[in-house]
Amino acid sequence: MSTRTRHLDSLLPALSEAYGPPGRESGIRAAIKRAVRGLGKASEDALGNVHLHVGGKGPRLLLTAHMDAPGIIVTRVDATGLARISLLGPILASDWIGATVSWNGQRGLIGWDHPKGATEVEPESLFLETGLGEKAAAKWIPVGTVGALHDRAERLGDLWCGGNLDNRAGCAALIAAIAGVQGPRNDLHVVFSAQSDLGSRGAMTSVFGIEPDCAVVLDVAFVGESKQGDIALGKGPCLGLKEEGYLPHPDALDLVKRAARAAKVKHQWLIRESSGSDARVVRASRSGVPTALVAVPARKTGGPRVLVNANDLEQVVKLVRQIVTTPYTGEKGPR
Amino acid sequence: MASNGDRTCADWLRHLTSLPGVPGQEQETARAVMKAFRTVADRVERDRMGSVYAWIEGTAKAPRPRALLAAHMDKIGFLVRAVEPGGWLRLTEVGGFDSRTLPGKEVTVHSNPPMTAIFATKPPHLQKGGEAERSIPLEELYLDTGRPEREVRRRVPIGTMVTLRQPPIDLMGDRMAAPGMDDRAGVVVMLRALELLRDRRPKWDVIAVATVEEEFGMFCLGARTATETLAPDLGIAIDVSHGDMPGARDGDTVPLGSGPALSIGGNIHPLILEELKRSAKALSMPYRVEPAPMSSGTDAMDIQIASGGVPTAVIGIPCRYMHTGVETVEPRDVDRCAHLLAHYLSELSPEWRAVEVLK
Amino acid sequence: MSGNGAPPFREDILEQISNAPGVSGGEEAVRAILAEIARDKVDSLEVDPMGSLVGRIEPLARNGKRKGPHVMLCAHMDEVGLMVTAIEKEGRLRFRRVGGIDPRILPGQVFRIGLAGIRAVVGTLPPHLVPRAERDKVTAPDDLYLDVGARSREEAEEMIPVGSYAVFDTTYESWGTTRKGKAFDDRAGCAVLASIIQRRPPVPVTAVWSVQEEVGLRGAAAAARRVRPDVAIVLEGTASGEAPGAPPEEQYPYMGKGPALTVQDRSLMVHARLLETIESTAKQKRVLTQWKRPAVGGTDAGRIAISGTGVPSAVISVVCRYIHAPAALLDVRDAQRATTLVWHTLETLRKEWP
Repeated sequence: MSTRTRHLDSLLPALSEAYGPPGRESGIRAAIKRAVRGLGKASEDALGNVHLHVGGKGPRLLLTAHMDAPGIIVTRVDATGLARISLLGPILASDWIGATVSWNGQRGLIGWDHPKGATEVEPESLFLETGLGEKAAAKWIPVGTVGALHDRAERLGDLWCGGNLDNRAGCAALIAAIAGVQGPRNDLHVVFSAQSDLGSRGAMTSVFGIEPDCAVVLDVAFVGESKQGDIALGKGPCLGLKEEGYLPHPDALDLVKRAARAAKVKHQWLIRESSGSDARVVRASRSGVPTALVAVPARKTGGPRVLVNANDLEQVVKLVRQIVTTPYTGEKGPR
Repeated sequence: MASNGDRTCADWLRHLTSLPGVPGQEQETARAVMKAFRTVADRVERDRMGSVYAWIEGTAKAPRPRALLAAHMDKIGFLVRAVEPGGWLRLTEVGGFDSRTLPGKEVTVHSNPPMTAIFATKPPHLQKGGEAERSIPLEELYLDTGRPEREVRRRVPIGTMVTLRQPPIDLMGDRMAAPGMDDRAGVVVMLRALELLRDRRPKWDVIAVATVEEEFGMFCLGARTATETLAPDLGIAIDVSHGDMPGARDGDTVPLGSGPALSIGGNIHPLILEELKRSAKALSMPYRVEPAPMSSGTDAMDIQIASGGVPTAVIGIPCRYMHTGVETVEPRDVDRCAHLLAHYLSELSPEWRAVEVLK
Repeated sequence: MSGNGAPPFREDILEQISNAPGVSGGEEAVRAILAEIARDKVDSLEVDPMGSLVGRIEPLARNGKRKGPHVMLCAHMDEVGLMVTAIEKEGRLRFRRVGGIDPRILPGQVFRIGLAGIRAVVGTLPPHLVPRAERDKVTAPDDLYLDVGARSREEAEEMIPVGSYAVFDTTYESWGTTRKGKAFDDRAGCAVLASIIQRRPPVPVTAVWSVQEEVGLRGAAAAARRVRPDVAIVLEGTASGEAPGAPPEEQYPYMGKGPALTVQDRSLMVHARLLETIESTAKQKRVLTQWKRPAVGGTDAGRIAISGTGVPSAVISVVCRYIHAPAALLDVRDAQRATTLVWHTLETLRKEWP
């Protein structure tokens, strides 16, 4: 499927099915590089981040979205030919049951042992069934094999439904936004970061190299993470007020709020206690970077696929386009 | 009998502890801190993340080595996360509170203009059996502003800062209690130390940094970014240490009035500790050694590993009841910490570096 | 064992540094031994602001041949242990653990305190005096104490100031190809590194013996910023999975089956191409290797990989039984294999990297 059309309808399905578990993002890296061709100067760094320098005059603005999506890593093949796994990323063990994973042209199914009396699903009781049989499995799925959630996003009425929407939805929105931008008012850098699900690792090194004056992080936030004042699907992009390790910088938040007003984008506030995004490391880079977080609201289903409202995603695109064309007025960084 | 120095410290403590300034919203406090530092420093400025830098220029020839002092000006507090039908406010914390210390307390909601509110409680006659045995987590607590919902919604946006409303109180024995001794007391130590250094100039440049966001998140953001900006040759964090309290173990506390607590452990460069002890002895000043086996839990944690590595030390002010509205210190200990710091810095040789070249 | 130009593994170094005390934050004694060993073999040597020992070595100039990438080889000097936090008036010492120690190994254990190695026992009530109901419970470390035999606080304080470190009282021994000693995590890595630099390496190398790995990977975080290598390889001592009753395929990695290569642990995902380079070198030079168990543990490589704009990093470990316990075991042949593998990997990097 071609990623040359930069509209969400074709972009999101294509990006969502690209192979890119944390630390092994080769597939999504290639798909993103294809999708951003012609939009600026693209390069890759030691951790696998894709850096796109779009350019423009004015303060150095960084927009970033993580491109890795949760995966699994094989820890051994047991006597019955089932591979045992460990999880990479924040998806709960119970939500992996029934998922298809893929790597290197191979595929497998995640199942659960259902141990007697178990009230919780532990990762140790999950298995990866490849149908290869004991001897072949031990040979073809060595320890350290990394599998991605194999899924292609599709429309379900007003919603997008897919396994890798966190954060391929953010990546797709970011590409659709910069593709349609007219007259940027900042020197724009875009980073599709790697290894976010291993502790925001790619974001750390990419921001170190860029030294932006201001940064906006695009990610996904799940409904149900707050008891009161929760976010909801269909109410527009979430602006982050607090998450684990992150509080917005007033100047960065001001940029996003002004853009939202100018673009007439309705938004909601995000406060979450125990999850985080790359924002927490972006803001702490070097001498510090004024950072704001924009998150697409999403809903879990208890299984591998999650849901995002299609209109919320369009509104994120609209908001990001406006951010790029709104001059940042905060203090510039030392360089 | 309180000395002049003690009284100066006491006045500054009263002033600074009554300012708001939760992590991420330190602006108003920063303005007041800058004003205070302008009375003692050569130059005062703010960095992009909001930390305040107060410079004392050293007397050695340029390029001079730099000593960074750090005390955090944020104090723990809350943000409004939701306004519920009925006008009740639900909160999220910024910094670690023990929610058992909250029921019934008065708070300031920093709307424009600010308003007072109370953490609601159920009177005992209405409680079910055993309810009083259970501590209430923050998610179940809420604020009552006494005002109609309509007004609350209009005046209090989501994300508004909330702090404990407890004015400083003078206790017997020249002791003082207030919310925010952690770590405004450390800021006062820096103010007083800079005041003393004006009369006894150090050879090094000394930059006192009132840092932001020590109490929140995985990094001490202000300390880390200030270290990257200043690239100091030495860093000393001044924070509060647990004062003597019943129920605490030996080795976990230092008594009020026993002078500065000097940390020992991985976060502390042994040579700086030795020199601090030597300064204390030269001043005939009592001090304690405070074990910090894994981490010091202060800005020094981040200063030490930023910018390629910085030798660090920690000076602790004994303080009882940390992270409550009644944090208690002796201004005399605050003054002592300042004298110790000033003496150490004025004696510091311009040649001293922590990198030891063997070949 | 040490074929094709790779230097021999120096067991005498392992013995010396395994016996020496070096709890996280108090690594001076180990550092002094390594500094003495490294001094004549490196071009420059320094102790950085956190106490890590850093030695830089330029390769011999070879006409026409490319110099190769600047490689940081790193092993941590610190071990887990105890810190004395208070001295009671009866002369008993209160302590806190430094690094991860299972509290169940403490009762009845002997420790050595300070550079003088003053012996101390962790006292515990004899079974006769413990009510039956309590005998199954694990005593919290906060309720334990070190007894040095002193009768009063003054007597103890004279020799042991608050803040002193204590290490397991274990002495290095040889049992066939097995070696027993304390702190093989990571004195094994330190000894491998010290062995490698006995010969001038084929690429520019900065050898870092880091501090405070066990309390948060701290020394390496700072050192990597100063060193700024092109590639990093961390040398560790890692836990074997061997235990009776567990199914055989669950027991990897095994002592004696070669150095363990990390794919992923809780601190990083190893750079794919660097891992391939190491694997193919092992195959080519016929060095026995195995996989380290994914998703467990963390090393200095986790911090080095994310320093600055990022450093491709890998981990090669000697497999040890009973790390973070008083007496660990390793197979000395694995230490030689690790030395050989790293040496030849440096040669491959010179030819092929980036």
